[in-house]
Amino acid sequence: MLSIRNLHAAVEGEEILKGINLDIQPGEVHAIMGPNGSGKSTLSQVLAGNETFEVTSGEVLLDGKNLLELETEERALAGIFLAFQYPVEIPGVSNLQFLRTAVNAHRAHQGKEELSAVDFMKLAKDITQRVDLDASFLKRGVNEGFSGGEKKRNEILQALLLEPRLAILDETDSGLDIDALKTVAQGVNELRSEDRAILMITHYQRLLDHIVPDKVHVLAGGRIVKSGDSELAKELEEHGYAGLGVSDDEEATAN
Amino acid sequence: MKAAPTLSPAFLQPAGGKLPEPLLTLRQQRGKALVDMPLPTRKTENWKYSSRHLKLTEELANSLPSGRKAGPGLALDHPHILIHNGVVVPEASDFPELDGIEISSFADLDDDTAGQLAERLDNTLDNQAIQMARLNAARFEDGLYIRLKPGAVLEEPLYVIIETDAGASGSAYPRLYVDVGANSQMTLVEEYISSGDDAALVDSVTEFSLGEGANLTSIRLSLEGDSVQHIGATGARLLGHARLDSHTVGFGGPLRRHDLQVRLEQPGAECRLNGVAVSQGKQHYDNHTTIEHVAPHCNSEETYRNIAADESHIVFNGRIHIHEDAQKSAADMNNKNLLLTTGAEIDAKPELEIYADDVTCAHGATIGQLDDRSLFYLVSRGISRQHANTLLTMAFINELVEQIPVEAVRQTTQARLNQFIEQAFEEA
Ligand SMILES: Nc1ncnc2c1ncn2[C@@H]1O[C@H](COP(=O)(O)OP(=O)(O)O)[C@@H](O)[C@H]1O
Ligand SMILES: [Mg+2]
Repeated sequence: MLSIRNLHAAVEGEEILKGINLDIQPGEVHAIMGPNGSGKSTLSQVLAGNETFEVTSGEVLLDGKNLLELETEERALAGIFLAFQYPVEIPGVSNLQFLRTAVNAHRAHQGKEELSAVDFMKLAKDITQRVDLDASFLKRGVNEGFSGGEKKRNEILQALLLEPRLAILDETDSGLDIDALKTVAQGVNELRSEDRAILMITHYQRLLDHIVPDKVHVLAGGRIVKSGDSELAKELEEHGYAGLGVSDDEEATAN
Repeated sequence: MKAAPTLSPAFLQPAGGKLPEPLLTLRQQRGKALVDMPLPTRKTENWKYSSRHLKLTEELANSLPSGRKAGPGLALDHPHILIHNGVVVPEASDFPELDGIEISSFADLDDDTAGQLAERLDNTLDNQAIQMARLNAARFEDGLYIRLKPGAVLEEPLYVIIETDAGASGSAYPRLYVDVGANSQMTLVEEYISSGDDAALVDSVTEFSLGEGANLTSIRLSLEGDSVQHIGATGARLLGHARLDSHTVGFGGPLRRHDLQVRLEQPGAECRLNGVAVSQGKQHYDNHTTIEHVAPHCNSEETYRNIAADESHIVFNGRIHIHEDAQKSAADMNNKNLLLTTGAEIDAKPELEIYADDVTCAHGATIGQLDDRSLFYLVSRGISRQHANTLLTMAFINELVEQIPVEAVRQTTQARLNQFIEQAFEEA
């Protein structure tokens, strides 16, 4: 479904991603772990189409389509969803209006009729419950004044609404208390489906206690330095990145 | 040195209209004082950015003919009054018969009342700062005098439609005077519109006099067409514990200028001034506000937001003057500006003059563009760039529009602003 080949990306002339290779099949859950600053968010932002990052070489295919040629909004309509590490607050645009506009953009793209305000409200109320948010969050500005955990749940809510082909979750587990982590994990498990892939980026092992990934990759210094099954995550938990010859907050020395 | 340009004598022609004697006399006096009135130039501080848009050509000197009988066609199911080219048109108005309020055209006032009014006219304004209000005083042919009696509470808003009919070139000088009696309460909607597309000048003056404990909500919409220059002044004086809530929404034109001057004259008076101005093409909008904290223990809050698209230009000048005796004043002014293109220009200037030492004052002005991160967040959800831009731009002013307390006006305004914003982002 997703195929990343030798992807290089730079910001302000500095190379951050130094040749990423990754293949994800429908139904799979992949986890990417790695020290701070290793390029995890950069990878997710590049996939979503953030133009701050310049792709200097490489290729990304989604269902055979050249993803890098598409605008951000076209990627979203093609099925890419990114749960942001730092969701943006947008006062003045209500969450409800935002979610409805996004859902209707997807529906229009799929040739479906737009949802009326009433029908959408029903759907939105149902999904806010599933991520344990009060319906009052729909009336507030997008992420405006939300706590860290509420923002993350609002991201999962969007994923559930938009039903993407590939959901990229950038540290959706960080900054959450135990209960919120459970809610988010439950949401992610609900997202799992045969024709959907999930790419979970995480700094910690703890989300993986709730969601067992099919594959785990270690990203360090802009490269994937090791891949394995869920056992790899446990190994990392025990021995840290140092066990791989990678020190936290430092470039990879392993290759 | 080149002599400073002065007002063309054509503008000093005798004005028409059927005014009572005291108002005629006043008008004549004001006219004499205008001979050789210097016109604002680039060097006139309060007209620095706008003087070049002010075109007082001779073709505009004639008063536009008034007295059209048909209404402006606005399907308003509310009590409303039409001022057409500066003259009240009773046939097209619906003077509500309500307890506690007297509404009259200047023309219909008896000499006594007209005499009292003549003594008060322009009292709310700092005439030095409002050159064009002086021209209105020399040229007005009628006006609307609204008196709300002490203690009266008007539940329904009163609409005044000020229409400029630019079927020919010329000028109009509408005038309103609103006496809001002690402890009375009302909402007034001024809707400035135009028809026809010849060049026209509207030089309007609106005055509010608020008695003790009076409460006035003033909504002012400036919606004229692209051939109309509108220079308007609004003055308000507030006695003890009176409150003014002002909401102005304006769309740009060849020249739109609004001076809003509020005097908090007795303790406990307070005002909240909200303003939105938007412009596109080569339009120009200039808001100048002044809040005079004359007495102690008064509060003022001011929030203005401007959006300039294309090659348009918006000016905001917000002055707060806290007089020496005005201890325990609280003043908060906030102005945010959004440029939608690199060709647009916004000049924002807060001016604080504080002569009392025990006051709480805050002010801020920012000029910026739409936030890239917000835009990316929206489009990453499949929302088109155009739609995302529209949402973010509307968000910038929505907070203020939502505070307009009359639903019908709020909805119309929202729709008009939406239309403006969508147009601004239309793909060329
Ligand atoms: N917008 C940016 N401008 C400049 N440098 C950036 C930007 N975003 C990320 N970087 C740099 O890229 C590197 C990788 O960052 P990031 O992808 O956020 O890492 P991670 O998510 O793995 O913690 C870091 O050195 C970071 O400072
Ligand atoms: Mg990160």
